[in-house]
Amino acid sequence: MTIYSFWIFDRHCNCIYDREWTLLANPKSGTTNSKQNDDVSKLLYGIIFSLRSVTGKLSTDDTGRTNEISSISTGKFRIHTYCTATGLWFVLLTDFKPFNYNKVLQHIYSDIFVKYITNNYLSPYDFSENENEKRGQGTRKITNRHFMNNLESFLEPMISS
Amino acid sequence: MNGYTVGENGTNSGMTEQHQFQLFEESLRKVNKLVFQMLINEIIPLSMSVERKLEKSNDEEVSSNMSKLDVNEDSNTTNLLKDIVPSNQLIHDLLDTKDEDKYNKVIDRVRNIGFQVGNKLSELLIFTNNPNLQFKDMDILLIMKFVCRDVWKQLYGKQIDNLKTNHRGTFYLFDYDYPPIREFCIEENALKKELKLVEPFLEFPVGIIKGVLASLGYPPEQVICLATFVDRPNNDIPDTSFAKGISFHIQITTQNNQ
Repeated sequence: MTIYSFWIFDRHCNCIYDREWTLLANPKSGTTNSKQNDDVSKLLYGIIFSLRSVTGKLSTDDTGRTNEISSISTGKFRIHTYCTATGLWFVLLTDFKPFNYNKVLQHIYSDIFVKYITNNYLSPYDFSENENEKRGQGTRKITNRHFMNNLESFLEPMISS
Repeated sequence: MNGYTVGENGTNSGMTEQHQFQLFEESLRKVNKLVFQMLINEIIPLSMSVERKLEKSNDEEVSSNMSKLDVNEDSNTTNLLKDIVPSNQLIHDLLDTKDEDKYNKVIDRVRNIGFQVGNKLSELLIFTNNPNLQFKDMDILLIMKFVCRDVWKQLYGKQIDNLKTNHRGTFYLFDYDYPPIREFCIEENALKKELKLVEPFLEFPVGIIKGVLASLGYPPEQVICLATFVDRPNNDIPDTSFAKGISFHIQITTQNNQ
C-alpha cells in the first residue's frame, strides 16, 4: 500500500489541511498546506461532493441513515473518505492495494484531530472567522505543531510499504 | 449502599478501612474526564468574556442608562449570538490586551474561581474518610502532601511529580506534565508566544492551592503562591506534549500560631 496525499475539509467547504508526498522513498518530501494545491483541493472537493449527493439519492434505506461513500476508485488511484457528523471530511489518496483505510481515517479523526485541534484551547475549532470565508473562500489552514508532527509519524509507515 | 455490614469487620481494621474507602470511591458517580478538563480550561475564556461584558455595559451605562434595557429586551437572542467570541480568540485577546489593569482583573477572577473550588474541595476530600489522610498535628508539610497527592489526583487524575521544601515555609511543587495544558500548541517557531498564551491557565491551580491552604488554616494573605514554567528533567522534550513543566512556588510568610 502506498498513500499519495491527505486532505481535510471543513463544513464551510474549505480545505483546512493538505499534505502531499512526492518522493515515495522519502517520507519527509512533498508539500504541506501548499498554495499550489488550492485548485486540486477544489476539484477533489467537487468530486466527493457530487458523488455524495448521488449516493444519497440512490439510497434505498428508509431508516433515515444517509448512504455515505467510503471510497472512490479512478483509473489511477483510489480516494478514501471519512465524513463526520460535524461536516469534516478526511480524505486519503492511495494506490489500488486492497486495504481498509476506514480505521486509519477514524484514528486520525479521533486520536489526532480531536486531541490536538479540538482539545487545544489555543487553536481555533472553526477555521472560518468571518462570513466571507464561510462559502468556500477561506484560506486558513491547520498550522498546529503537535497535529502535524503526530500526523506525520502516524502516516509515515504507510507512505510506501 | 455498598453492602458492607458490621459483622464482616475483620481484625485488621486498617485493611477494612482501605477496602471501605475503595468501595465508597467506586460507588461515587463518575463524570467524563475530557468534559471536566474542558470545563476547567473554559474558566479562562469565561473570565475574559465576563470582563469584556462588564466593560461594555459600563460604557453603555454612561451613554444611555435606562432606555437601553428595553431595546435589549426585544433583541435579546440576536444580541447574545452577536456577542459570542470563540474561546481561542478570547485567549489571544487576553494576551494582546494593552490594559494591564484589565489583564490583572481577568487573572484575579480566574484565581478567585480556583480559590473557591479549592476551598470546597478540601472539605469534600476530608469528608470522604480516606484512611490515607491524617491531619492530627496540622503540619504544613502534611497539608502540602495532601495537595500533591489527593487534591491533584481528584482534579487531574495524577499526582504532582516532585515536592521540594526547605522546612521553613517554602515549597516547590513540580508538575512536569500538567494535564489541562498538555495538548496546547500553536504554530511552529512561536514558543515564546505560546508560553505567554498558556500563562493564564496556571492561575487556576494557584487559586486551588491557596483555597486548600485557606480552608486548612493558612489565610490567603499569609500565603504567596506563584506558578512558573520550568524545563523538564533530563530535558526530554517530546513532540506530542507541552514543552515545559510547571513549578509552583509556595511561601508561607508568617508562622501560624494557633
